[in-house]
Amino acid sequence: MARFLLRRSALALVTLVLVSILVFAAAQLLPGNVGRSVLGGFASQQSVDQLNHQLGVDRPIYVQYGSWIEKFVQGNLGTSLEYRVPVWSLLRTSLLNSLKLAAVAFVLVVPLSILGGVLAALRRGRLTDRVITLTGLSLTAVPEFVSAIFLILVLGLWLKVLPVTATAPPGSGFFTQVKYLLLPSLALVMVLFGYIARMARAGTIEALDADYTRTAYLKGIGTKAVIFRHVLRNSLLPTIAVIATQMGYLIGGLLVIEKLFNYNGIGQRIYTAAQNKDFTMLQSGVLVIAIVYLVATLLADILYSLLNPRIRFAASE
Amino acid sequence: MDRESRRQLEEYRRLEAGPFENALIDDYVAGEFDRGELIRRATILGVGASAVGALLRTLGEPSLAFAGTEALKAGGRMRVGIIPPPTGAIEPHTFADQGGLETGGLCGEFLTRATQTKRLLQELAVSWKPNANATVWTFKLRPNVKFQTGQTMTADDVVTTWKRLASPGSQALSAIGSYLTPDGVVKVDDLTVAFHLETPVSNFPYLTASTTYQAIILPANYQLGTFTSKPQTTGAFSLVSYTPGVGAKYDRFSGWWGGHAALDGVDVTYYSAAAAADAALLAGTIDLIGQIQLATDRPLFNNPNVQIFTAKGATHREVPMRVDLKNQLHDYRVRQAIAYTLDRPAIVKTLFNNLADIGNDSPFAPVYGLATSVPQRKKNIKLAKQLMAAAGFPKGFGITLTTEQTGEIPELAQIIQRSVKAIGIDMKLTILTATAYFAGSSTGPPSGWGNTPWLNTPMNITDWGSRPVPNVLLISALGTKGVWNAAHYSNKKFDALVKSFLAASTAADQNKYATLMQNILLHDTPVIFPYFYYYLAAGSKKVKGYKADALGQVYLSRSALA
Repeated sequence: MARFLLRRSALALVTLVLVSILVFAAAQLLPGNVGRSVLGGFASQQSVDQLNHQLGVDRPIYVQYGSWIEKFVQGNLGTSLEYRVPVWSLLRTSLLNSLKLAAVAFVLVVPLSILGGVLAALRRGRLTDRVITLTGLSLTAVPEFVSAIFLILVLGLWLKVLPVTATAPPGSGFFTQVKYLLLPSLALVMVLFGYIARMARAGTIEALDADYTRTAYLKGIGTKAVIFRHVLRNSLLPTIAVIATQMGYLIGGLLVIEKLFNYNGIGQRIYTAAQNKDFTMLQSGVLVIAIVYLVATLLADILYSLLNPRIRFAASE
Repeated sequence: MDRESRRQLEEYRRLEAGPFENALIDDYVAGEFDRGELIRRATILGVGASAVGALLRTLGEPSLAFAGTEALKAGGRMRVGIIPPPTGAIEPHTFADQGGLETGGLCGEFLTRATQTKRLLQELAVSWKPNANATVWTFKLRPNVKFQTGQTMTADDVVTTWKRLASPGSQALSAIGSYLTPDGVVKVDDLTVAFHLETPVSNFPYLTASTTYQAIILPANYQLGTFTSKPQTTGAFSLVSYTPGVGAKYDRFSGWWGGHAALDGVDVTYYSAAAAADAALLAGTIDLIGQIQLATDRPLFNNPNVQIFTAKGATHREVPMRVDLKNQLHDYRVRQAIAYTLDRPAIVKTLFNNLADIGNDSPFAPVYGLATSVPQRKKNIKLAKQLMAAAGFPKGFGITLTTEQTGEIPELAQIIQRSVKAIGIDMKLTILTATAYFAGSSTGPPSGWGNTPWLNTPMNITDWGSRPVPNVLLISALGTKGVWNAAHYSNKKFDALVKSFLAASTAADQNKYATLMQNILLHDTPVIFPYFYYYLAAGSKKVKGYKADALGQVYLSRSALA
């Protein structure tokens, strides 16, 4: 297991280096220049050049990369070129917010989708299966900004049962914060339910048809026990992998949801940084998301290997 | 006309009034403008209310009757949505964006404040007066004004602030750079500051107002970069917390010179999507949105629970056509022909539901009340075709219009594209993000205009903010070697008229020069000014005493919640 973890961690490190190079290179390709973005279109060229020099963005690219990555590994994410404050002071809040939203969405969508998928598999070909499958497919096909606006209109403005913004007032307690996060989380549930439920359904159908399930039934084990001990344990393996891959999206890819619910998440923070050529914020933000994503997939791998000994043993060989 | 009124007026003319003030009185007596315009112009020159009242009484008009302030309920915190968030650090002298100026303006104050009706009100200055040729303007400061740091405001604070505004790196240079250098800002005594201008400018006091949004007065010992970390302005509210991209919090300043603001404080939330701000207003999460647009905020219009605040101004779009390139646009007849294809009333109806004034291809917006005798340019396809034929392009030609993805501009680009088809012009559109459109260098003349698309493409559309007076538009956007002269237009006669206009002391002279400039611009047509749209804000019915500002300041010191 330790060897497995070590190999996975090494791979994650290589991935991070590649991501850092990619994001740095991509940031350089963005149109416009930093000084112009900060000072605006009507600023004099002299002021723009002066600011660029002050910020160090007129140095050779490799020097800028080296300086950024060196500080990053020391825990110094640099200073935002746009706001002139430490990047981490802004990124920390945004990341925390994104994690909160992801957590609420996760808590809602994972059990609901797995339940839906397993139920559909157990009622394969019947009305329940069709309703769950078709509902899931339809919801997935609707773009998130449409489902979000629909939810805002119905639950926020007409019925007035949930707040239309995701940011709870300062000092709000746990339940108030969850209440504020419900509407955007529901929008995410609508997007992800179909996909995860479909995976859970397919995995469950495969497990139900497997020899070990038949053997379990032949041994006289009750249906409930067969499903919980044998079917679910095996059927959820691909679902876990799918959920892990969605973590990156749930944390860093919710730009539209964050914009519509005016939520200070990391997606919006990075998008604004890209728009305004705030290199340090953009690069560090993407790298932070990559780290979160890699940690999530590593955790999924560990869970996967715990549920499936074949993976563990293969990795140890 | 009673004897006492006549005596007061004569005394004022003899003892206090200079040539500008006397010219103002003569103009009014000669019927050059109406009572409202007299009051507006009097405030620019710093003529006191008693003198204006005396003049009105002498002429048999009702005296000044200032509207009593609406009784406002005290208490509550106003929740304000600002779209979009500030795009840089909150540093007043570098303000260049809407979010920044609104954030700073909520707690900051200026020497003067311009109203919706273009009157100038006293703020941190109580009076101002020009010398005989308007090259020196002397401002008397309000005594006993406290900064939120506890210091008392003196001339040193104003001089330090204004020297910074007139120095390189200041965004205010676009408004004042042509007339004022740091050395021109001089302390006369502890409560008097004189501005020595490079050229005569008769409407200079406007440039000290809230419309030059960078000109927030700060203490002389203000440290750059500390605006958001420490309350240090003079306004009714002090900025107590600020989170970039998220929001800001303001508390009532108990030491405000203006008394006791009705609101306990203001909570600002930044929005990057209009839909989110609209939903928040409709759901009661916020009380006021600082700026809205018809194109993006339609759910707020005709909603019984929403009040729309409007302010006529000079916010506009310019369509410059390069006059110096060796292409079809080099011929003024082609530029005129393009302008004649536009159905301006229809454009204003489509894009703004008539919440805009029609432009006459000059920066003289109707709100300035200048050059109004010049007939409005109207759609005339027959004439446009004749002009194209005379220029040698009866069958038209192909051209690219470059612009930015901002507000209604892409729709305007499409309208122009469809309009010029009628005279055979095959127009291609290149619509860039605002970042890409303003990217590149803009070195400014005489070395050229750099390579930024907005100053170098053959034909484009650029967004321009409102200005209280057209000075900067005349100098920078149309003057020879103007730093923002995207048409690369050069006309010596026009340049001379700009100088005369700026120095003109009488309304008649200002209007005379404006009319001459208007006619030159209609002939040369280096830039199309299709419209000047109104500034719009929206609030819930709870908001009381709020007035929209043409430049987007969210001034809440005299507002309240029901």
